[in-house]
Amino acid sequence: MPPAPLPQQLHELSELLGEMCTAAASALNRATTALLGSRERLAAQVVAGDAAIDALRARIEDLAGDALLFHAPVAGDLRAVVSAIRAADDIERMGDLALHIADVVRMRHPQPALPAEVRPAFAEMGRLATALALKAADVARSRNVLMAAELDTDDDEMDVLHQRMFEVLMDPAWPHGVPAAVDITLLARYYERFADHAVVVARETVYAVTGKEPDALPI
Amino acid sequence: MRDAYQEQLDDLADALATMCARVAEAMEKATRSLLEVDLQLAEEVISEDVRVDEIRAAAEERAFALLALQAPVATDLRIVVSAIHGAGDIERMGDLALHVAQAARRRHPQPVLPDEVAPYFAEMGRVGVELAQKAGDVIRTRDLERAAELESDDDAMDDLHRHMFTVLMDRNWSHGVGPAVDITLLARFYERYADHAVAVARRIVYVVTGRMPGPLAV
Repeated sequence: MPPAPLPQQLHELSELLGEMCTAAASALNRATTALLGSRERLAAQVVAGDAAIDALRARIEDLAGDALLFHAPVAGDLRAVVSAIRAADDIERMGDLALHIADVVRMRHPQPALPAEVRPAFAEMGRLATALALKAADVARSRNVLMAAELDTDDDEMDVLHQRMFEVLMDPAWPHGVPAAVDITLLARYYERFADHAVVVARETVYAVTGKEPDALPI
Repeated sequence: MRDAYQEQLDDLADALATMCARVAEAMEKATRSLLEVDLQLAEEVISEDVRVDEIRAAAEERAFALLALQAPVATDLRIVVSAIHGAGDIERMGDLALHVAQAARRRHPQPVLPDEVAPYFAEMGRVGVELAQKAGDVIRTRDLERAAELESDDDAMDDLHRHMFTVLMDRNWSHGVGPAVDITLLARFYERYADHAVAVARRIVYVVTGRMPGPLAV
C-alpha cells in the first residue's frame, strides 16, 4: 500500500497525539480517584492501561518515521513531524507518572497512602493535572496557539499547590511521621512533573505552528 | 574522504556526546557541592546549565538541517530521530544536576545530608557521572558492549535508590521529616538522571541493530 499523502499523515499525527494525551489525562484522573479512595483495583487498572499509552506512542513514532521517509517534509511540515516525536516522549512520561501514583496506592493498600488532611490538596492537584492534559490534547488536535498559552497559567497554580505541600510537610507539627512524608513528597512531585510535561506538549505545538519557542511569542 | 553528509551526521553525534560530557561534569560538581556544602560550586552548576540548553538547540538545528536538506533514509534516518530523542534526555539530565545544586544552595550553610547518608550520595554521584560519560562514549563509538554496561550500572543506581528509602523508612531514622523530604527528592533526581542515560544508550542500540532493547523499567 502506498503511503498516505503528507497532509493526511500530519492530520493523523495530531489526532493520535490528542488521543494519547487524553488517555494520559484519563489515567491520571483514575489514579487520583484510586489515591483518594484507596481503591486498589482501580489502581491496578491504571497500571495495566499504561501499555495502551505506550502503544499509541509507538504508532506515532512509526507514522512520523513514515512521513519523514516517504515525504521528506520541510519547513512547517517538518516541524510538525519532529514536534510530534518529541511530544509523544512527554506524553508517554505522563502515562508513567500516572502509573507511579497508582503504584503507591497498591503498595500501601489497604492503608490509605494519604492522611485525611492532605487529600483535598491532592484532589486539587489531580483536577488541575487532568485539566492540563485535556487542554494539551485539545491544543495538539486543534493546533490552537492561543489556547496553548493558557497552560502556562494553569501550571503556575500547580506549582503553588506543590510548594504549599512542602510547607505542610516541613511544619514541625506534622504528625504523620517520615514514611507518610516520603510518600507525599514523591506523589506531589509526580503531579508537578505530569503538569510540566503537559505544558511542554502544548509548547511543542506552538513551535510546530509558529517555528518559535513560546517564550518568544507576544502572548 | 568523508562527504559533507557524513560530516553532518558526525557533527550531530559530536554535539550529543559533548552534551553528555557537560552533564557528567555538572553532576560531578553538583554532587560535590552537596557533599562539601560548597555554595560557589552549586552556583556554577546552576549558571552553566544554560550552556547545555544551547548545545541542545544547536544539535536540534543540525538535525533539522539534515532532515530538510538530505532527506536521510534507513539507518541514517534512525540516527537523526534518535538524536532528537537523545537531546531531550540529555538536556533533562542537565536539569536534574541543576536540581541537585539547587538543593545544596537552598539549605546552605546547612548541609542537606546527614553524615550517615552522605556516602550513598557520593556513590550515586559516581555511578551517575559514569553513566553519562559512558552514554557519551556509546554515542561516539556505537559500541554495543559499552551500551550493555549502562544497564548494569543502572541496576547499581536502582539498588542505591531503594536502599535510601529503607534508611528513611527505618524507625531509627533520627533526622526528622525535613531532611527526609530533601533526601527523597535528591535520590529521585539521581535515579532519573541514570534512567535518561540508559535511554540514550538504548536508542543507539536501536540505531545499530534496528531493534529496541527491552522496555526501561520505570
